[in-house]
Amino acid sequence: MKRAALIFSVLLTAALMLWGWYQALFVAPDEQTMHEVQRIFYYHVPSAMVAFLFFAISLAGSLGFLVFRRGHPQRAQMADAWAVAGAEVGVVFCTVVLITGPIWGRRAWGIWWTWDARLTTTLVLWLIYMSYLLLRRFAAGPQMQTLAAVLGIFGALDVPLVYVSNRLWRTQHPAPVFGGSPDSGIKDPRMLAAFGWNVLAWLAWGLLILALRYRVERRQQQIAAAEAQAALDA
Amino acid sequence: MDPVAILDHQYTVAAYAITWAIQLGYLAWVGLRWRAQKKRSPR
Repeated sequence: MKRAALIFSVLLTAALMLWGWYQALFVAPDEQTMHEVQRIFYYHVPSAMVAFLFFAISLAGSLGFLVFRRGHPQRAQMADAWAVAGAEVGVVFCTVVLITGPIWGRRAWGIWWTWDARLTTTLVLWLIYMSYLLLRRFAAGPQMQTLAAVLGIFGALDVPLVYVSNRLWRTQHPAPVFGGSPDSGIKDPRMLAAFGWNVLAWLAWGLLILALRYRVERRQQQIAAAEAQAALDA
Repeated sequence: MDPVAILDHQYTVAAYAITWAIQLGYLAWVGLRWRAQKKRSPR
């Protein structure tokens, strides 16, 4: 049953990815001013949305770990596994955002990078979560998970700042496509459909990887616990 | 063909290819960790 559900999820995700790719490159029309290079939007923005979602999962996991660590160690370990899985997969999506953005910017603005509020806060977000992952990789001892959880909570505070940065400050980065000024939004239904399919596709892909990464972390915790017990028994 | 359109196309292809390279690379890395764990698994 579990195997059938996994195969179904993989097939559904693969179909969504192919359909999203087809919609973005062959169905959506060229944008009037940027032409073909605007199609980077269909990978860039969904990746940012999924990264934000996964950093929120990491925040929930970090909070859960701090809440459960004294009374419910098993729940705390599960929460910690969600925290690290969310942070790591979030960093992967954030990396995609930070690479596809400059590629698009080079054609649209003539520059790879500028220190405007949106770009800078996104880079800071990426750096905070990279330091979170480095802490988890290289620190040891019983306090590591607690320190990581606190850092994960601080890191998540930057997410709303990234979101509102191009509303609060004048930026080189375009104004919000959704929820901005009254005339914001995608007008062409084919562009809107391509965007929606790619959001769904990247979300499905991200959730699949997140579930796999969570399983790897849980198994790692079990191996570490078994090895610690074996060392005590020896 | 218009050289501007060719450049636009190259940048778009580069962005899509790099996205896939990062995502598939990460999936492969997680897969390798999964396989390495199987050997150490306590059962």
